[in-house]
Amino acid sequence: MATSDEIMEALADFKEQCNNNKRLRRMQRDWTKLIHFVAEDTGDTFTMDVVKGEIVSFATGRNGTPDIIVTASSEDLCDMFWGDLNPSQKYLDGEIRVKGSQEDVMRLDAITMIIWPEV
Amino acid sequence: MAVTLKKVLTLRTVVSTSAGMAMATSCYLAGLQVAIMVEGELAWISILVSGVFCLLSAMCFSELTSLYPSAAGIKLFMQNAFNEKTAVSIAMFYVVLGISMVGAESYLLSSVMLDTVGVIASPMLDRFLWQIVFILFVGYINFKGVKITGRLQDVLTYSMLSFLIGVSIYALAVKGIDISSALKSPTFTLKNVMNAAAVGVFMYVGFEWVTPLAEETEDYRMIGKGMMYAVGLLSVTYALFVVAMYTGLTKKQLMSGTSIPHILFARNMFGTWGAFAFIIMSILASVTSFNAGLLNTSRYVYAMARDDTLPRFFSRLHPDHATPWVAILSLVIFSVLVSLAILFTGKYMFIIMMAAALECFIYVVMALSVIRLRKKFPDSPRAFKVPLGNTIPVVTIVVFSVLMIGLISDTTRDYTGNVLFHNYWVGLVMAMFAGLCVMYTLVVVPRFKLAALKRASLRKKRRPSRSKPGKEGT
Repeated sequence: MATSDEIMEALADFKEQCNNNKRLRRMQRDWTKLIHFVAEDTGDTFTMDVVKGEIVSFATGRNGTPDIIVTASSEDLCDMFWGDLNPSQKYLDGEIRVKGSQEDVMRLDAITMIIWPEV
Repeated sequence: MAVTLKKVLTLRTVVSTSAGMAMATSCYLAGLQVAIMVEGELAWISILVSGVFCLLSAMCFSELTSLYPSAAGIKLFMQNAFNEKTAVSIAMFYVVLGISMVGAESYLLSSVMLDTVGVIASPMLDRFLWQIVFILFVGYINFKGVKITGRLQDVLTYSMLSFLIGVSIYALAVKGIDISSALKSPTFTLKNVMNAAAVGVFMYVGFEWVTPLAEETEDYRMIGKGMMYAVGLLSVTYALFVVAMYTGLTKKQLMSGTSIPHILFARNMFGTWGAFAFIIMSILASVTSFNAGLLNTSRYVYAMARDDTLPRFFSRLHPDHATPWVAILSLVIFSVLVSLAILFTGKYMFIIMMAAALECFIYVVMALSVIRLRKKFPDSPRAFKVPLGNTIPVVTIVVFSVLMIGLISDTTRDYTGNVLFHNYWVGLVMAMFAGLCVMYTLVVVPRFKLAALKRASLRKKRRPSRSKPGKEGT
Protein backbone atom coordinates (compact mmCIF):
# COMPACT_ATOMS: atom_id res chain seq x y z
CA MET A 1 0.00 0.00 0.00
CA ALA A 2 1.18 3.50 -0.76
CA THR A 3 0.54 6.20 1.80
CA SER A 4 -1.22 9.45 1.14
CA ASP A 5 2.12 11.29 1.40
CA GLU A 6 3.70 9.01 -1.20
CA ILE A 7 0.84 9.66 -3.59
CA MET A 8 1.07 13.41 -2.97
CA GLU A 9 4.81 13.24 -3.74
CA ALA A 10 4.03 11.35 -6.95
CA LEU A 11 1.38 13.92 -7.84
CA ALA A 12 3.87 16.76 -7.38
CA ASP A 13 6.23 15.11 -9.86
CA PHE A 14 3.34 14.34 -12.20
CA LYS A 15 2.28 17.99 -12.15
CA GLU A 16 5.79 19.13 -13.04
CA GLN A 17 6.11 16.60 -15.86
CA CYS A 18 2.74 17.57 -17.34
CA ASN A 19 3.06 21.31 -17.04
CA ASN A 20 6.56 21.32 -18.54
CA ASN A 21 5.62 19.20 -21.55
CA LYS A 22 4.90 21.56 -24.44
CA ARG A 23 3.40 18.86 -26.65
CA LEU A 24 0.97 17.84 -23.96
CA ARG A 25 0.02 21.41 -23.14
CA ARG A 26 -0.75 22.03 -26.82
CA MET A 27 -2.86 18.89 -27.14
CA GLN A 28 -4.79 19.48 -23.93
CA ARG A 29 -5.16 23.25 -24.32
CA ASP A 30 -8.97 23.02 -24.39
CA TRP A 31 -9.20 20.40 -21.63
CA THR A 32 -10.48 21.74 -18.31
CA LYS A 33 -11.47 19.10 -15.79
CA LEU A 34 -11.79 18.46 -12.09
CA ILE A 35 -10.57 14.94 -11.36
CA HIS A 36 -11.05 12.85 -8.22
CA PHE A 37 -8.70 9.96 -7.50
CA VAL A 38 -9.78 7.28 -5.06
CA ALA A 39 -7.36 4.78 -3.55
CA GLU A 40 -9.78 1.98 -2.81
CA ASP A 41 -7.51 -0.01 -0.47
CA THR A 42 -6.65 2.90 1.84
CA GLY A 43 -9.71 5.05 1.29
CA ASP A 44 -7.51 8.08 0.56
CA THR A 45 -8.89 10.56 -1.94
CA PHE A 46 -7.27 13.29 -4.00
CA THR A 47 -8.49 16.12 -6.18
CA MET A 48 -6.67 17.45 -9.22
CA ASP A 49 -7.74 20.62 -10.99
CA VAL A 50 -6.77 20.87 -14.67
CA VAL A 51 -7.41 24.19 -16.40
CA LYS A 52 -6.75 24.37 -20.15
CA GLY A 53 -4.32 21.49 -19.94
CA GLU A 54 -2.40 22.88 -16.98
CA ILE A 55 -2.54 21.15 -13.61
CA VAL A 56 -3.22 24.17 -11.44
CA SER A 57 -3.62 22.37 -8.13
CA PHE A 58 -3.88 19.03 -6.39
CA ALA A 59 -4.84 18.26 -2.84
CA THR A 60 -5.98 15.47 -0.59
CA GLY A 61 -9.71 14.91 -0.17
CA ARG A 62 -12.62 15.31 -2.53
CA ASN A 63 -13.23 18.91 -3.47
CA GLY A 64 -16.01 20.08 -5.75
CA THR A 65 -18.09 18.09 -8.21
CA PRO A 66 -15.76 16.10 -10.46
CA ASP A 67 -15.84 15.56 -14.21
CA ILE A 68 -13.91 12.31 -13.82
CA ILE A 69 -13.44 9.83 -10.96
CA VAL A 70 -10.51 7.41 -11.13
CA THR A 71 -10.54 4.47 -8.72
CA ALA A 72 -7.52 2.19 -8.28
CA SER A 73 -5.29 0.68 -5.61
CA SER A 74 -2.96 3.12 -3.87
CA GLU A 75 0.04 1.30 -5.36
CA ASP A 76 -1.33 1.61 -8.89
CA LEU A 77 -2.11 5.29 -8.42
CA CYS A 78 1.38 5.95 -7.11
CA ASP A 79 3.07 3.98 -9.91
CA MET A 80 0.86 5.66 -12.50
CA PHE A 81 1.81 9.17 -11.34
CA TRP A 82 5.50 8.24 -11.32
CA GLY A 83 5.18 6.86 -14.85
CA ASP A 84 6.08 3.31 -13.84
CA LEU A 85 2.77 1.83 -14.93
CA ASN A 86 0.79 1.74 -18.16
CA PRO A 87 -2.72 2.77 -17.05
CA SER A 88 -4.28 1.42 -20.26
CA GLN A 89 -3.33 -2.15 -19.43
CA LYS A 90 -4.70 -1.85 -15.91
CA TYR A 91 -7.85 -0.22 -17.26
CA LEU A 92 -8.39 -2.97 -19.83
CA ASP A 93 -7.92 -5.53 -17.06
CA GLY A 94 -10.53 -3.73 -14.97
CA GLU A 95 -8.06 -2.89 -12.17
CA ILE A 96 -8.31 0.85 -12.77
CA ARG A 97 -11.88 2.09 -13.04
CA VAL A 98 -12.90 5.43 -14.44
CA LYS A 99 -16.19 7.29 -14.26
CA GLY A 100 -16.39 9.90 -16.98
CA SER A 101 -16.74 10.21 -20.72
CA GLN A 102 -14.86 7.97 -23.15
CA GLU A 103 -13.00 10.98 -24.47
CA ASP A 104 -11.79 11.90 -20.99
CA VAL A 105 -10.64 8.35 -20.34
CA MET A 106 -8.50 8.51 -23.47
CA ARG A 107 -7.21 11.99 -22.65
CA LEU A 108 -6.12 10.78 -19.21
CA ASP A 109 -4.24 7.88 -20.76
CA ALA A 110 -2.78 10.21 -23.39
CA ILE A 111 -1.09 12.25 -20.64
CA THR A 112 0.90 9.22 -19.50
CA MET A 113 1.68 8.21 -23.05
CA ILE A 114 3.08 11.61 -23.96
CA ILE A 115 5.14 12.32 -20.87
CA TRP A 116 6.47 8.75 -20.70
CA PRO A 117 6.26 7.41 -24.28
CA GLU A 118 8.17 4.25 -23.43
CA VAL A 119 5.62 3.08 -20.83
CA MET B 1 -20.06 8.50 0.10
CA ALA B 2 -21.45 8.49 -3.41
CA VAL B 3 -20.09 11.29 -5.56
CA THR B 4 -21.82 12.26 -8.74
CA LEU B 5 -20.21 13.62 -11.88
CA LYS B 6 -20.81 17.10 -13.26
CA LYS B 7 -22.31 15.58 -16.38
CA VAL B 8 -24.17 12.28 -16.37
CA LEU B 9 -26.17 10.60 -19.09
CA THR B 10 -29.92 10.38 -18.68
CA LEU B 11 -32.01 7.35 -19.54
CA ARG B 12 -33.48 9.29 -22.46
CA THR B 13 -30.03 9.71 -24.00
CA VAL B 14 -29.01 6.11 -23.32
CA VAL B 15 -32.13 4.94 -25.20
CA SER B 16 -31.59 7.38 -28.08
CA THR B 17 -27.91 6.42 -28.38
CA SER B 18 -28.66 2.70 -28.35
CA ALA B 19 -31.50 3.00 -30.90
CA GLY B 20 -29.62 5.58 -32.97
CA MET B 21 -26.60 3.32 -33.38
CA ALA B 22 -28.83 0.55 -34.72
CA MET B 23 -30.72 2.72 -37.20
CA ALA B 24 -28.94 2.93 -40.53
CA THR B 25 -29.83 2.97 -44.24
CA SER B 26 -29.02 -0.73 -44.58
CA CYS B 27 -31.79 -1.54 -42.07
CA TYR B 28 -34.44 -0.73 -44.69
CA LEU B 29 -32.88 -3.17 -47.10
CA ALA B 30 -32.59 -5.84 -44.42
CA GLY B 31 -36.25 -5.16 -43.61
CA LEU B 32 -37.23 -5.64 -47.23
CA GLN B 33 -35.26 -8.90 -47.31
CA VAL B 34 -37.22 -10.07 -44.25
CA ALA B 35 -40.43 -9.18 -46.08
CA ILE B 36 -39.31 -11.11 -49.15
CA MET B 37 -38.41 -14.20 -47.11
CA VAL B 38 -41.81 -14.41 -45.45
CA GLU B 39 -45.02 -13.10 -46.95
CA GLY B 40 -44.50 -9.27 -46.83
CA GLU B 41 -47.62 -8.43 -44.82
CA LEU B 42 -46.41 -10.83 -42.12
CA ALA B 43 -42.84 -9.54 -41.94
CA TRP B 44 -43.72 -7.94 -38.59
CA ILE B 45 -43.82 -11.41 -37.02
CA SER B 46 -40.18 -12.12 -37.87
CA ILE B 47 -39.14 -8.59 -36.85
CA LEU B 48 -40.87 -8.89 -33.49
CA VAL B 49 -39.36 -12.38 -33.01
CA SER B 50 -35.86 -11.02 -33.66
CA GLY B 51 -36.67 -8.10 -31.33
CA VAL B 52 -37.67 -10.50 -28.53
CA PHE B 53 -34.46 -12.50 -29.09
CA CYS B 54 -32.42 -9.29 -28.99
CA LEU B 55 -34.15 -8.41 -25.72
CA LEU B 56 -32.82 -11.66 -24.25
CA SER B 57 -29.36 -10.69 -25.39
CA ALA B 58 -29.83 -7.14 -24.03
CA MET B 59 -30.52 -8.69 -20.62
CA CYS B 60 -27.23 -10.59 -20.79
CA PHE B 61 -25.39 -7.40 -21.80
CA SER B 62 -27.07 -5.60 -18.88
CA GLU B 63 -25.77 -8.09 -16.33
CA LEU B 64 -22.26 -7.97 -17.82
CA THR B 65 -22.21 -4.17 -17.89
CA SER B 66 -23.40 -3.97 -14.30
CA LEU B 67 -20.54 -6.30 -13.35
CA TYR B 68 -17.88 -4.48 -15.42
CA PRO B 69 -19.08 -0.95 -16.17
CA SER B 70 -16.19 -0.02 -18.41
CA ALA B 71 -15.58 1.23 -21.95
CA ALA B 72 -13.32 -1.82 -22.28
CA GLY B 73 -16.60 -3.76 -21.84
CA ILE B 74 -16.77 -6.62 -24.32
CA LYS B 75 -13.07 -7.46 -24.04
CA LEU B 76 -13.24 -7.36 -20.26
CA PHE B 77 -16.30 -9.64 -20.11
CA MET B 78 -14.60 -12.26 -22.28
CA GLN B 79 -11.20 -11.92 -20.62
CA ASN B 80 -12.66 -12.60 -17.19
CA ALA B 81 -15.03 -15.28 -18.41
CA PHE B 82 -12.50 -17.15 -20.57
CA ASN B 83 -8.96 -15.84 -20.99
CA GLU B 84 -7.06 -12.99 -22.62
CA LYS B 85 -6.31 -14.84 -25.87
CA THR B 86 -9.96 -15.69 -26.45
CA ALA B 87 -10.94 -12.11 -25.61
CA VAL B 88 -8.40 -10.59 -28.00
CA SER B 89 -9.29 -12.98 -30.86
CA ILE B 90 -13.04 -12.46 -30.59
CA ALA B 91 -12.80 -8.71 -29.99
CA MET B 92 -10.60 -8.33 -33.06
CA PHE B 93 -12.97 -10.47 -35.14
CA TYR B 94 -15.89 -8.32 -33.96
CA VAL B 95 -14.12 -5.05 -34.77
CA VAL B 96 -12.87 -6.11 -38.24
CA LEU B 97 -16.17 -7.54 -39.40
CA GLY B 98 -18.14 -4.78 -37.68
CA ILE B 99 -16.36 -2.05 -39.58
CA SER B 100 -17.06 -3.97 -42.83
CA MET B 101 -20.67 -2.87 -42.46
CA VAL B 102 -19.51 0.57 -43.47
CA GLY B 103 -18.90 -0.85 -46.93
CA ALA B 104 -22.54 -1.84 -47.30
CA GLU B 105 -23.76 1.36 -45.69
CA SER B 106 -21.69 3.60 -47.98
CA TYR B 107 -22.83 1.64 -51.05
CA LEU B 108 -26.48 2.07 -50.11
CA LEU B 109 -26.01 5.72 -49.34
CA SER B 110 -24.35 6.19 -52.72
CA SER B 111 -27.46 4.58 -54.29
CA VAL B 112 -29.59 7.15 -52.47
CA MET B 113 -27.39 9.98 -53.74
CA LEU B 114 -27.36 8.64 -57.30
CA ASP B 115 -31.12 8.50 -57.25
CA THR B 116 -31.31 12.04 -55.88
CA VAL B 117 -28.63 13.87 -57.83
CA GLY B 118 -28.67 11.71 -60.95
CA VAL B 119 -25.67 10.47 -62.91
CA ILE B 120 -22.94 13.10 -63.34
CA ALA B 121 -20.05 11.19 -64.96
CA SER B 122 -20.87 7.48 -64.98
CA PRO B 123 -22.92 5.39 -62.53
CA MET B 124 -19.84 3.46 -61.39
CA LEU B 125 -17.61 6.50 -60.93
CA ASP B 126 -20.38 8.54 -59.28
CA ARG B 127 -21.17 5.73 -56.90
CA PHE B 128 -17.49 5.38 -56.01
CA LEU B 129 -17.17 9.12 -55.39
CA TRP B 130 -20.27 9.26 -53.18
CA GLN B 131 -18.94 6.32 -51.17
CA ILE B 132 -15.59 8.05 -50.71
CA VAL B 133 -17.25 11.36 -49.79
CA PHE B 134 -19.33 9.62 -47.14
CA ILE B 135 -16.43 7.67 -45.62
CA LEU B 136 -14.04 10.63 -45.71
CA PHE B 137 -16.62 12.96 -44.18
CA VAL B 138 -17.19 10.65 -41.23
CA GLY B 139 -13.45 9.98 -40.96
CA TYR B 140 -12.81 13.74 -40.92
CA ILE B 141 -15.29 14.56 -38.16
CA ASN B 142 -13.83 11.70 -36.12
CA PHE B 143 -10.32 12.98 -36.75
CA LYS B 144 -11.35 16.47 -35.63
CA GLY B 145 -12.89 14.97 -32.52
CA VAL B 146 -16.37 16.37 -33.24
CA LYS B 147 -18.82 14.73 -30.86
CA ILE B 148 -22.52 14.29 -31.37
CA THR B 149 -23.90 15.61 -28.10
CA GLY B 150 -26.48 13.71 -26.12
CA ARG B 151 -29.11 16.33 -26.87
CA LEU B 152 -28.50 16.19 -30.63
CA GLN B 153 -28.62 12.39 -30.51
CA ASP B 154 -31.96 12.63 -28.65
CA VAL B 155 -33.41 14.98 -31.26
CA LEU B 156 -32.17 12.87 -34.19
CA THR B 157 -33.25 9.48 -32.89
CA TYR B 158 -36.64 10.43 -31.51
CA SER B 159 -37.47 12.47 -34.63
CA MET B 160 -36.56 9.53 -36.86
CA LEU B 161 -38.57 7.06 -34.79
CA SER B 162 -41.64 9.33 -34.64
CA PHE B 163 -41.37 10.08 -38.34
CA LEU B 164 -41.16 6.39 -39.29
CA ILE B 165 -44.07 5.42 -37.03
CA GLY B 166 -46.23 8.28 -38.34
CA VAL B 167 -45.46 7.53 -41.97
CA SER B 168 -46.13 3.81 -41.44
CA ILE B 169 -49.49 4.33 -39.77
CA TYR B 170 -50.54 6.67 -42.56
CA ALA B 171 -49.36 4.29 -45.29
CA LEU B 172 -51.05 1.28 -43.68
CA ALA B 173 -54.29 3.24 -43.25
CA VAL B 174 -54.23 4.32 -46.91
CA LYS B 175 -53.07 1.05 -48.46
CA GLY B 176 -54.53 -1.46 -46.04
CA ILE B 177 -53.09 -4.94 -45.51
CA ASP B 178 -54.54 -8.31 -46.35
CA ILE B 179 -53.45 -10.58 -43.50
CA SER B 180 -55.82 -13.47 -44.26
CA SER B 181 -54.48 -14.16 -47.76
CA ALA B 182 -50.89 -13.66 -46.55
CA LEU B 183 -51.44 -16.37 -43.94
CA LYS B 184 -52.31 -18.82 -46.73
CA SER B 185 -49.12 -18.07 -48.68
CA PRO B 186 -46.68 -21.01 -49.15
CA THR B 187 -43.77 -18.78 -48.07
CA PHE B 188 -45.30 -18.29 -44.62
CA THR B 189 -43.68 -21.26 -42.86
CA LEU B 190 -42.01 -21.58 -39.45
CA LYS B 191 -38.64 -22.17 -41.13
CA ASN B 192 -38.97 -19.02 -43.23
CA VAL B 193 -40.17 -16.96 -40.25
CA MET B 194 -37.13 -18.07 -38.23
CA ASN B 195 -34.66 -17.56 -41.10
CA ALA B 196 -36.16 -14.12 -41.69
CA ALA B 197 -35.81 -13.41 -37.95
CA ALA B 198 -32.09 -14.19 -38.28
CA VAL B 199 -31.81 -11.54 -41.01
CA GLY B 200 -33.99 -9.29 -38.86
CA VAL B 201 -31.29 -9.39 -36.17
CA PHE B 202 -29.25 -7.17 -38.50
CA MET B 203 -31.75 -4.37 -37.98
CA TYR B 204 -30.80 -4.23 -34.30
CA VAL B 205 -27.03 -4.41 -34.85
CA GLY B 206 -25.33 -1.78 -32.73
CA PHE B 207 -27.85 -1.42 -29.88
CA GLU B 208 -25.21 -2.92 -27.57
CA TRP B 209 -22.60 -0.31 -28.55
CA VAL B 210 -24.07 1.83 -25.80
CA THR B 211 -22.34 -0.33 -23.15
CA PRO B 212 -19.08 1.71 -23.26
CA LEU B 213 -21.12 4.65 -21.97
CA ALA B 214 -21.67 2.90 -18.62
CA GLU B 215 -18.96 5.07 -17.08
CA GLU B 216 -20.98 8.18 -17.91
CA THR B 217 -24.09 7.12 -16.02
CA GLU B 218 -24.92 7.45 -12.37
CA ASP B 219 -26.62 4.08 -12.11
CA TYR B 220 -25.16 1.24 -14.18
CA ARG B 221 -28.60 -0.38 -14.44
CA MET B 222 -29.58 2.51 -16.68
CA ILE B 223 -27.54 1.06 -19.56
CA GLY B 224 -29.42 -2.24 -19.39
CA LYS B 225 -32.76 -0.53 -19.07
CA GLY B 226 -31.89 1.79 -21.95
CA MET B 227 -30.90 -1.08 -24.23
CA MET B 228 -34.16 -2.89 -23.53
CA TYR B 229 -36.27 0.20 -24.16
CA ALA B 230 -34.31 0.84 -27.37
CA VAL B 231 -34.86 -2.71 -28.65
CA GLY B 232 -38.57 -2.39 -27.82
CA LEU B 233 -38.86 0.94 -29.65
CA LEU B 234 -36.95 -0.39 -32.65
CA SER B 235 -39.12 -3.54 -32.79
CA VAL B 236 -42.35 -1.57 -32.97
CA THR B 237 -40.96 0.96 -35.45
CA TYR B 238 -39.41 -1.61 -37.78
CA ALA B 239 -42.42 -3.94 -37.61
CA LEU B 240 -44.71 -1.12 -38.70
CA PHE B 241 -42.40 0.40 -41.25
CA VAL B 242 -41.32 -2.78 -43.05
CA VAL B 243 -44.92 -3.85 -43.62
CA ALA B 244 -45.85 -0.31 -44.72
CA MET B 245 -42.85 -0.13 -47.04
CA TYR B 246 -43.63 -3.53 -48.58
CA THR B 247 -47.26 -2.64 -49.24
CA GLY B 248 -46.23 0.77 -50.56
CA LEU B 249 -43.92 -0.61 -53.25
CA THR B 250 -45.13 -1.76 -56.65
CA LYS B 251 -44.51 -5.33 -57.89
CA LYS B 252 -42.10 -3.91 -60.46
CA GLN B 253 -40.12 -2.11 -57.77
CA LEU B 254 -40.01 -5.21 -55.60
CA MET B 255 -38.78 -7.30 -58.53
CA SER B 256 -36.12 -4.77 -59.51
CA GLY B 257 -33.91 -5.70 -56.53
CA THR B 258 -33.70 -2.05 -55.57
CA SER B 259 -31.19 -0.94 -52.96
CA ILE B 260 -33.29 2.11 -51.99
CA PRO B 261 -36.73 0.69 -51.17
CA HIS B 262 -37.44 3.38 -48.56
CA ILE B 263 -36.91 6.19 -51.07
CA LEU B 264 -39.12 4.53 -53.69
CA PHE B 265 -41.78 3.94 -51.03
CA ALA B 266 -41.65 7.58 -49.95
CA ARG B 267 -41.91 8.75 -53.55
CA ASN B 268 -44.91 6.47 -54.20
CA MET B 269 -46.69 7.61 -51.08
CA PHE B 270 -45.72 11.27 -50.67
CA GLY B 271 -44.15 12.41 -53.94
CA THR B 272 -40.86 14.29 -54.30
CA TRP B 273 -41.03 15.99 -50.90
CA GLY B 274 -41.59 12.69 -49.16
CA ALA B 275 -38.59 11.21 -50.94
CA PHE B 276 -36.55 14.26 -49.97
CA ALA B 277 -37.44 13.82 -46.29
CA PHE B 278 -36.36 10.17 -46.46
CA ILE B 279 -33.12 11.09 -48.20
CA ILE B 280 -32.25 13.52 -45.39
CA MET B 281 -33.17 10.90 -42.82
CA SER B 282 -31.10 8.28 -44.59
CA ILE B 283 -28.03 10.50 -44.63
CA LEU B 284 -28.43 11.43 -40.96
CA ALA B 285 -29.00 7.81 -39.92
CA SER B 286 -25.94 6.61 -41.83
CA VAL B 287 -23.67 9.39 -40.65
CA THR B 288 -24.65 9.06 -36.96
CA SER B 289 -24.44 5.29 -37.05
CA PHE B 290 -21.09 5.13 -38.86
CA ASN B 291 -19.69 7.99 -36.81
CA ALA B 292 -20.48 6.16 -33.57
CA GLY B 293 -19.08 2.93 -35.03
CA LEU B 294 -15.83 4.59 -36.10
CA LEU B 295 -15.54 6.42 -32.78
CA ASN B 296 -15.89 3.22 -30.78
CA THR B 297 -13.69 1.05 -32.98
CA SER B 298 -10.89 3.63 -33.32
CA ARG B 299 -10.76 4.07 -29.53
CA TYR B 300 -10.72 0.33 -29.19
CA VAL B 301 -7.84 0.01 -31.66
CA TYR B 302 -6.01 2.73 -29.70
CA ALA B 303 -6.53 0.83 -26.43
CA MET B 304 -5.36 -2.45 -28.02
CA ALA B 305 -2.19 -0.72 -29.20
CA ARG B 306 -1.59 0.70 -25.72
CA ASP B 307 -2.10 -2.81 -24.38
CA ASP B 308 0.61 -4.12 -26.78
CA THR B 309 -1.91 -6.24 -28.66
CA LEU B 310 -1.59 -4.20 -31.84
CA PRO B 311 1.51 -2.37 -33.12
CA ARG B 312 2.26 0.71 -31.04
CA PHE B 313 1.87 3.19 -33.90
CA PHE B 314 -1.91 2.68 -33.74
CA SER B 315 -1.87 4.59 -30.44
CA ARG B 316 -0.49 7.79 -31.97
CA LEU B 317 -2.55 10.83 -31.13
CA HIS B 318 -3.04 13.97 -33.14
CA PRO B 319 -1.11 16.84 -31.49
CA ASP B 320 -4.03 19.27 -31.72
CA HIS B 321 -7.22 17.22 -31.52
CA ALA B 322 -6.05 14.41 -29.21
CA THR B 323 -7.70 11.87 -31.49
CA PRO B 324 -6.11 8.51 -32.41
CA TRP B 325 -5.45 9.52 -36.02
CA VAL B 326 -3.54 6.41 -37.09
CA ALA B 327 -6.34 4.16 -35.86
CA ILE B 328 -8.97 6.36 -37.57
CA LEU B 329 -6.99 6.51 -40.83
CA SER B 330 -6.45 2.73 -40.85
CA LEU B 331 -10.15 2.06 -40.31
CA VAL B 332 -11.06 4.59 -43.02
CA ILE B 333 -8.70 2.84 -45.48
CA PHE B 334 -10.16 -0.53 -44.54
CA SER B 335 -13.69 0.85 -45.03
CA VAL B 336 -12.76 2.20 -48.47
CA LEU B 337 -11.34 -1.21 -49.47
CA VAL B 338 -14.53 -2.98 -48.36
CA SER B 339 -16.65 -0.41 -50.23
CA LEU B 340 -14.57 -0.98 -53.35
CA ALA B 341 -15.13 -4.73 -53.06
CA ILE B 342 -18.89 -4.10 -52.77
CA LEU B 343 -18.81 -1.60 -55.61
CA PHE B 344 -17.26 -4.13 -58.00
CA THR B 345 -19.26 -7.16 -56.86
CA GLY B 346 -22.53 -5.40 -55.96
CA LYS B 347 -22.91 -7.94 -53.13
CA TYR B 348 -24.03 -5.57 -50.37
CA MET B 349 -26.48 -8.19 -49.13
CA PHE B 350 -23.47 -10.39 -48.41
CA ILE B 351 -22.21 -7.91 -45.81
CA ILE B 352 -25.69 -7.61 -44.30
CA MET B 353 -25.89 -11.40 -43.92
CA MET B 354 -22.38 -11.50 -42.49
CA ALA B 355 -23.16 -8.77 -39.97
CA ALA B 356 -26.33 -10.60 -38.89
CA ALA B 357 -24.39 -13.86 -38.41
CA LEU B 358 -21.61 -12.02 -36.55
CA GLU B 359 -24.14 -10.43 -34.23
CA CYS B 360 -25.69 -13.83 -33.49
CA PHE B 361 -22.20 -15.15 -32.70
CA ILE B 362 -21.42 -12.27 -30.33
CA TYR B 363 -24.75 -12.70 -28.53
CA VAL B 364 -23.91 -16.39 -27.99
CA VAL B 365 -20.48 -15.46 -26.59
CA MET B 366 -22.01 -12.83 -24.27
CA ALA B 367 -24.59 -15.29 -22.91
CA LEU B 368 -21.80 -17.83 -22.35
CA SER B 369 -19.84 -15.11 -20.53
CA VAL B 370 -22.78 -14.50 -18.19
CA ILE B 371 -22.87 -18.19 -17.21
CA ARG B 372 -19.07 -18.48 -16.84
CA LEU B 373 -18.77 -15.31 -14.77
CA ARG B 374 -21.58 -16.41 -12.46
CA LYS B 375 -19.64 -19.60 -11.82
CA LYS B 376 -16.24 -17.92 -11.45
CA PHE B 377 -17.30 -14.88 -9.47
CA PRO B 378 -20.62 -15.72 -7.81
CA ASP B 379 -20.20 -13.09 -5.09
CA SER B 380 -19.12 -10.15 -7.26
CA PRO B 381 -21.67 -7.35 -6.95
CA ARG B 382 -24.05 -7.05 -9.89
CA ALA B 383 -26.40 -4.08 -10.06
CA PHE B 384 -28.57 -6.18 -12.38
CA LYS B 385 -28.90 -9.95 -12.57
CA VAL B 386 -30.84 -11.71 -15.33
CA PRO B 387 -33.76 -13.43 -13.56
CA LEU B 388 -34.64 -17.16 -13.64
CA GLY B 389 -31.10 -18.43 -13.05
CA ASN B 390 -29.29 -19.55 -16.18
CA THR B 391 -32.48 -20.10 -18.17
CA ILE B 392 -32.35 -16.88 -20.18
CA PRO B 393 -28.61 -17.08 -21.01
CA VAL B 394 -29.08 -20.74 -22.09
CA VAL B 395 -32.11 -19.83 -24.23
CA THR B 396 -30.06 -16.99 -25.75
CA ILE B 397 -27.24 -19.39 -26.60
CA VAL B 398 -29.60 -21.93 -28.19
CA VAL B 399 -31.70 -19.35 -30.08
CA PHE B 400 -28.81 -17.40 -31.57
CA SER B 401 -26.82 -20.54 -32.40
CA VAL B 402 -29.85 -21.91 -34.28
CA LEU B 403 -30.39 -18.55 -36.02
CA MET B 404 -26.72 -18.35 -37.02
CA ILE B 405 -26.65 -21.92 -38.36
CA GLY B 406 -29.97 -21.38 -40.12
CA LEU B 407 -28.70 -18.18 -41.70
CA ILE B 408 -25.42 -19.71 -42.88
CA SER B 409 -27.12 -22.78 -44.35
CA ASP B 410 -29.76 -20.71 -46.17
CA THR B 411 -29.67 -19.15 -49.64
CA THR B 412 -30.17 -15.44 -50.30
CA ARG B 413 -32.75 -14.83 -53.02
CA ASP B 414 -34.38 -11.79 -54.53
CA TYR B 415 -38.11 -11.10 -54.77
CA THR B 416 -38.53 -13.29 -57.86
CA GLY B 417 -36.72 -16.20 -56.23
CA ASN B 418 -33.44 -15.89 -58.13
CA VAL B 419 -30.43 -17.02 -56.12
CA LEU B 420 -28.20 -14.09 -55.17
CA PHE B 421 -25.65 -16.25 -53.34
CA HIS B 422 -25.41 -19.29 -51.11
CA ASN B 423 -24.95 -18.18 -47.51
CA TYR B 424 -22.32 -20.82 -46.77
CA TRP B 425 -19.96 -18.34 -48.44
CA VAL B 426 -20.78 -15.97 -45.58
CA GLY B 427 -19.79 -18.70 -43.14
CA LEU B 428 -16.59 -19.39 -45.05
CA VAL B 429 -15.52 -15.74 -45.13
CA MET B 430 -16.30 -15.41 -41.43
CA ALA B 431 -14.35 -18.59 -40.64
CA MET B 432 -11.42 -17.23 -42.62
CA PHE B 433 -11.45 -13.94 -40.69
CA ALA B 434 -11.84 -15.80 -37.40
CA GLY B 435 -8.87 -18.03 -38.32
CA LEU B 436 -6.74 -14.98 -39.12
CA CYS B 437 -7.67 -13.33 -35.81
CA VAL B 438 -6.83 -16.48 -33.84
CA MET B 439 -3.49 -16.88 -35.67
CA TYR B 440 -2.67 -13.23 -35.03
CA THR B 441 -3.44 -13.64 -31.33
CA LEU B 442 -1.39 -16.82 -31.01
CA VAL B 443 1.59 -15.87 -33.17
CA VAL B 444 1.94 -12.08 -33.35
CA VAL B 445 0.55 -10.81 -30.03
CA PRO B 446 3.05 -12.79 -27.86
CA ARG B 447 5.88 -11.06 -29.77
CA PHE B 448 4.46 -7.62 -29.00
CA LYS B 449 4.01 -8.60 -25.36
CA LEU B 450 7.58 -9.90 -25.17
CA ALA B 451 8.94 -6.70 -26.71
CA ALA B 452 6.93 -4.69 -24.17
CA LEU B 453 8.34 -6.77 -21.32
CA LYS B 454 11.88 -6.17 -22.60
CA ARG B 455 11.20 -2.44 -22.80
CA ALA B 456 9.85 -2.47 -19.26
CA SER B 457 12.86 -4.37 -17.90
CA LEU B 458 15.27 -1.87 -19.48
CA ARG B 459 13.39 1.11 -18.16
CA LYS B 460 14.56 2.60 -14.87
CA LYS B 461 11.76 2.96 -12.34
CA ARG B 462 11.12 6.57 -11.42
CA ARG B 463 9.35 6.03 -8.13
CA PRO B 464 11.97 6.78 -5.46
CA SER B 465 10.99 4.56 -2.57
CA ARG B 466 8.83 1.54 -3.13
CA SER B 467 6.59 0.35 -0.33
CA LYS B 468 6.71 -3.31 0.56
CA PRO B 469 3.46 -5.09 -0.22
CA GLY B 470 1.14 -5.26 2.73
CA LYS B 471 3.04 -2.62 4.68
CA GLU B 472 2.47 1.07 5.03
CA GLY B 473 4.72 3.24 2.87
CA THR B 474 8.37 3.39 3.82
